[in-house]
Order: sequence, then structure tokens, then C-alpha cells
Amino acid sequence: MSSIAAFVDGPFWYFSLTVFVVGVLWRLIGLLSMRGNKELSQPRDSATGGVIHSVLSRFIPVAGSQSRIRVRTVASYLFHIGLFLILIFGAPHVAFYESRMLGFGWTPMPQWLFFLVSAIAFLGLIVLWLHRIMYPVTRSVTTASDHIATGLVFWVMLTGCMALGESSEFLRVLHLFMAELLLLYFPFSSLMHAFYWHVARAHTGAHYGRRGVKV
Amino acid sequence: MSKHRRYRRALRWSLLLLALVLVLPLVPYAVAAGGTQFNTPGVELWDAVRARVQGPMRTQVEGVQSNQLINYWGDQWRLFRSQLLVPIGAVMLLAMLGIITVFYLVRGRIEIEGGRSGVLVPRFSVNQRVVHWLAATVFIVLGLTGLVLLYGRYVLVPLLGPEGFGVTASACKEMHNLFGPLFPVAILAIMFSFGRGNSFRGIDFQWFLKAGGLFGHAMADSGYYNGGQKTWFWLTVLFGIAMSVTGLILVFPNFGQGREAMAVAHVIHGVVAVGFITASLGHIYIGTLGMEGAAESMTNGYVDAAWAKEHHNLWYAEMERAGMVGVSPNTMEEVKRHDDRDFRGFGQPLGRREPLDPTVSPPNRGPTGGGISPAATPSAPKEST
Amino acid sequence: MARMKFFCDAERCIECNGCVTACKNANEVPWGINRRRVVTLNDGEPGERSLSVACMHCSDAPCQAVCPVDCFYQTEDGLVLHDKDICIGCGYCFYACPFGAPQFPSEGAFGSRGKMDKCTFCAGGPEETASAEEQRKYGANRLAEGKLPACAEMCATKALLAGDADEVADIYRERVAYRGAVGMATGWGVGYGKPGIRSNTIDLTGKAAGRD
Repeated sequence: MSSIAAFVDGPFWYFSLTVFVVGVLWRLIGLLSMRGNKELSQPRDSATGGVIHSVLSRFIPVAGSQSRIRVRTVASYLFHIGLFLILIFGAPHVAFYESRMLGFGWTPMPQWLFFLVSAIAFLGLIVLWLHRIMYPVTRSVTTASDHIATGLVFWVMLTGCMALGESSEFLRVLHLFMAELLLLYFPFSSLMHAFYWHVARAHTGAHYGRRGVKV
Repeated sequence: MSKHRRYRRALRWSLLLLALVLVLPLVPYAVAAGGTQFNTPGVELWDAVRARVQGPMRTQVEGVQSNQLINYWGDQWRLFRSQLLVPIGAVMLLAMLGIITVFYLVRGRIEIEGGRSGVLVPRFSVNQRVVHWLAATVFIVLGLTGLVLLYGRYVLVPLLGPEGFGVTASACKEMHNLFGPLFPVAILAIMFSFGRGNSFRGIDFQWFLKAGGLFGHAMADSGYYNGGQKTWFWLTVLFGIAMSVTGLILVFPNFGQGREAMAVAHVIHGVVAVGFITASLGHIYIGTLGMEGAAESMTNGYVDAAWAKEHHNLWYAEMERAGMVGVSPNTMEEVKRHDDRDFRGFGQPLGRREPLDPTVSPPNRGPTGGGISPAATPSAPKEST
Repeated sequence: MARMKFFCDAERCIECNGCVTACKNANEVPWGINRRRVVTLNDGEPGERSLSVACMHCSDAPCQAVCPVDCFYQTEDGLVLHDKDICIGCGYCFYACPFGAPQFPSEGAFGSRGKMDKCTFCAGGPEETASAEEQRKYGANRLAEGKLPACAEMCATKALLAGDADEVADIYRERVAYRGAVGMATGWGVGYGKPGIRSNTIDLTGKAAGRD
């Protein structure tokens, strides 16, 4: 048992972290080095303006569909903001970064906020996942990979929640193991949207901005 | 004779002497009890402490009710938990499982009489289903972890050992605390999504009189929700509010709510939880294993027309009049229905409450009224089964 | 084995809180927790009394009865201790305890609710005796060193007694008998006797006869 724990806490952690970093870089470089057809037309407007507009405006759903997708919009904001607050300001995570990765830490969230934010993140994730399954459009575009990605995130969060009591090494290592699986899966799945979202928006924005199309 | 008298006199005197010997030593005690006051220090104070009418108490040590000398209600709470909640809860849960098992063995699965028709009727919208499964997820997480905390000491410690159960219990407690605050959110969503059509009507009492057709084959009249479903809805709302309020009192111990408030909250939390879980077993059984054709209303949102006719005949008639029977579960149509902002009649035609009498004709509907216009579903088969 | 007990003599306690401080110092208890506290009744009024309260190490301990994970145990000395490795911090022991002895930590190391903490009679916990782990989780194990709990040893007026129940009872019985004899005739006022005084050598006027 302790040898498995030592493996998960040691070599496997560095392995999965390496796969994550290298994989994400590889995919980003691959994306940025992709070359489409050369744009031959005269620019009618600024591509930069289109990029800025598109990257920022996509934070809000387009006017026509706002009321339709209100539940999804709210749930995804709750989930993503909650997840990143926990990841960056959760006290156990700050302690982990400080002792294992960075050598320095910062002020973590207080206990009550941690609980509240985690609960909200769970709420967002469960609602989004259920909506993905129930809503016919999302259901038809969802692949097994999406469910695996969502499931991994869910299990990372759930095991993290279990380990909150800090009562046993087993639960901490279990949480770490799930996080390592997530890191391994990350670069090869739709979870890459964490690094792609602004690239995709910027690409579209530049395309339309150059043509003078207001979107 | 004189000899006899002398004997009697001697007897009398000896009896008197005996009495004196017995009683005289008691005199000082009597005098002491009546006359002397022993000035025992602080006697009134300790009498008051024992009688639980203490004066002001103070301590330099900060903490939850650290100025209270004795926690009077602790033992009451302990007796409640160990002698009422744990055994009676176990009996209730096991009895419910037993009843369900017996019912299943005797009655079997309630099947759709005459089989499925293959014609579908929309019943629950996406949002309703999302809300249902959100509440179900949170309920199952909270229920299972709560049961582990309530019965783990008696059931799981022998299996896992104290250390193994310590890990399990710690994980369960943390999950219980973290998922707890989601429950009021889920209950609120349930109230808003399922509130319409859940008020009790006259036909519900007839439904109760017929026991919902659980026994025998005579089905009771029922609208969108039957009496049992309405009962479960209101149980969920009331129990859910009770669980949420008491749970929030318990989850943050250093909020200044005090020990008595937490103990009382725990009593309510435990009693309601056992009742809630017991009732939910019935709901889960009848929604899945116990009845053919019921679960799909919560999975894909549609039910078979034959099932609808059998279990919700008044609702079926209403849906038929609104032209909403026989829609096909085709993706594009589904999306159109879910995305149409003016259409909020998925399963419940807009602007109409469930009719009390199936013979009442539906009111005239404007061209923009709710429901799917027949033109939107031209290919939908309209035959009744 | 001995049956260990605490006893606080309210006629002697002067609410100096020395026991509280001694406990915190000996056990290095978590922030915000005091395993022992002094409660003053009718503070500032004539006849006020103070009592030092901590875990009383009950024979039929309510905390042990209600604990959902069964982490409490009784030692051969009759001490009620708990295993922090098993404790989940639910707080049931705090609800049930008559003395408010087990306490919630105000803030766990990682901001979670953490484990309950309570008086150990300075007897450590289930970890190996005198190990660093025991010291970190439960504080001092003075009993293993042949010492009594720090609070009682520190008590300036010897109001707080700790140790074998029989000996504690003997000491207190002696005090009560002396006070009773004095109090009966002259009223309460000469509470503290002199060394060597025994109740059977005191006459009813409160004057000690035949003392050396």
C-alpha cells in the first residue's frame, strides 16, 4: 500500500505532469503552426479589432439565444469560476504548490468560502453534465470522450471533497491519483478548450474583422 | 393474683425501659434537625446548581458556550439518538424494504395492460429532468453518506475495522457537508419546476380511496400528477426545507448558534431524514422496477400513450385535445419544442389547469396558444390505442 | 490499577486560570481550543464560587456512546481518550458531553472542520507513548513519566486535585471534615487550617487541640 502511495505521490506525479505540459505545448504549437489558405482579399477593417471584439464579446451568449441557454450559461460560469478559485486559492492546493512545486505560497481562501465555492462548482458541473445528456442537441454532439473528461473532472472533485478531512493518506493519494489521470487525459481530449478557447475566438474574430463583418 | 399483678407491672416497666433505650439516642438527632443550622458553605449555591437555576456564570475562556457549567440537554440528546433514532430508524427502513419486497413478490411489476402502443406523449421537459436528476444526485449522495454516519458504527465497523471505517466515515462526512448546501438549491428548483399542477384536487382523494390502483386492476382517475405523486412532491418540499434549515445550522459549528440549537437541529434532521429516505425508497421502486413505462418520463422525457392513458387518463385526454399525443421523438422537433420561448407546454399544455372532469371540453385556443400546433407535427400519428 | 479522577474544590479555587494556562502550555493545544476552563458562578457577588472544568473521564461516557465512528476508548486508569486518526469531527461528543469537554477546532490546518480535541488527563493518546506523533496530536504524556496532569500540579491553592480516586477522595474528605467541624460552631471563615491538623483533634470551638 505505501509503495503504491509512494509511486502515485512521486514518479507518477512527475510523469503525468510532464505528459500534461509537453502534450499541451505540442498541441498548441501544432495549432498555431497550422496554415490555412492565404487571405488574398484587401483588408476592409482591422483584424486586431475583430480579435478583441470576438474574444471579449463571446463571454456573453448572442442576444437571440440568451434566454434559451440561460441555465447552461449560469451553470458554466458557476462551474468554471468555482473550479479555478478552488484550484488556485484552495488552502490544500496552495500548500501543495508551495511545498511541491513553487516554493512560495499565497493567501488561501477561508474555510467557509472554500466550502461554498466547492459546492457551487459541483452544482455547475452536475447541471451541465445532466443538461448535456438531456438536451437533444448537446446529446447528439457528445462523444464518449466528453463523458470521460467530465467524469474525470467530477471524480477529481469528489475525491478532493472526500479528502477534505485530511484524515488519511489514502484519500489524499486517491485524489492525487485522479488528478494525475486527468492530467494524462487532458491534452488528448476536449479539455484542451482551456487553452484553445481564446485562440478559436481570435481566429474567427480576425477572419471577420479583416472582412469588416460585425459579429 | 398479686403475683400476677406484680408480673404485669414488671412487664410494663421493662417495656417502658426498652422504649427509652431505643428512643433516647435519637433525641440529639431530632434536636439537631430541628434546631441547629449547619452553616455549610455555598449550600444554596450548589442546591441551585443542582436544581438548574444557576445565576450568572462567567469564564475567561472563549468558546462555544464555555461559560455554561453543565450541559443539561446532552444526555437527553444522547438517549434520543441511541434509543430512539437509531433503532426506530432501522426498523422503519427495513420495514419499507420488506414491504416493497413483499409487494413485488405478490403484485409483481405493474405492466402496461395491453402492451405498449408505440405512440409517445411528451411528459417532462429538459429543465424538469435536469432538476429532477440534480435533486436525485444530491439526495443519493447525502442519503448514503448520512446513513453511513448513522449506522456505520453498527454495520461497517465490524466489516472494515475501526481504522478502515474511520477513513470511510471521514470521506462521507466531508461529502455530506459539501453537498449539503446544494440541497436547498435543488429543493427550490424542484418547487419551481414541478409546482404547477401539484395542488391537491377532489379527484386525488378518490385516487387515495382506490389506493391508486396499486391493488387490483381498477385504475383511479388522475390528471398530470396523481395523488401519490402530489404527496411525494409536497413531502419533498416540506422535508427538503426541514433538512436544509437544520442542516445549515449544523454544518458550520462555530457560527454562534450554540450547542442546544445544534442538538435540536440534529434531532429534527435525523427524524426527517429517516422519514425522507423511507419514503424515497417507495418513489424509487415505483419509478423504476415497480412499474413498466414510468422511468422513461424522466430519462428521455416521453411516455408511451398506453401508459399515459392507464395511469393519467385525464392528462392524456387533455394532451389529446391539445394535439400533443403522438409526437415523434425526432431530434429536430424536440429541439424546436425545447427552444421555443413561447412554448412552455412540454407535457402540460399552457394556460390550462388539469380538468376536473374528462368530459369538460377544452377552451378555445388562440392561434398563438401554447402547445404544438398540428401543423408542426404533420407526420405524427394521432390514433388512440 | 488506579481509577484516575479530577476533582475541583470550589472552596479553594480562586479563578486564577493557572490550570488553563498550564494545560495549554503542556499540551500545545490547537489555536482557539481550551481543554480546561474556569467557570465562575455569581461572579462579583458575595458567595461567588469558581470551578475548573475539563473532561471528567466518566465511567459511562456519553461521548463514547454517541460517537458514530467509535473512536473513544477507556484506558485501564479509567481515562476516556479518543483516537484522532478515526475521529471525523462531527461534533456529536460535544452535543452529548455534560461538561463541554470535546471541542471543535476553530480552524483546521487546511481550513476544514478538523478533529475534535479534548483533555487527555495528560496521558497522550493511542500513538506510541512519548513519540513525537503523540505529542503533536494529543499533547503531553505526563502520566507515562509518573507525573500528574499539568493543571493539577500547577494549581496554586491545590483546589484542583488529580490522581487516584481513592487518594483524591481521602484528601477531600479530610478537608470537608475539617471545614465541617469548624463551620458548625463558628461559621465559615477559617477555611485554611494549619499543617498537621486532623479533624479528630479539633474541639467544637474550632481551636485545634494537641497539635505540635
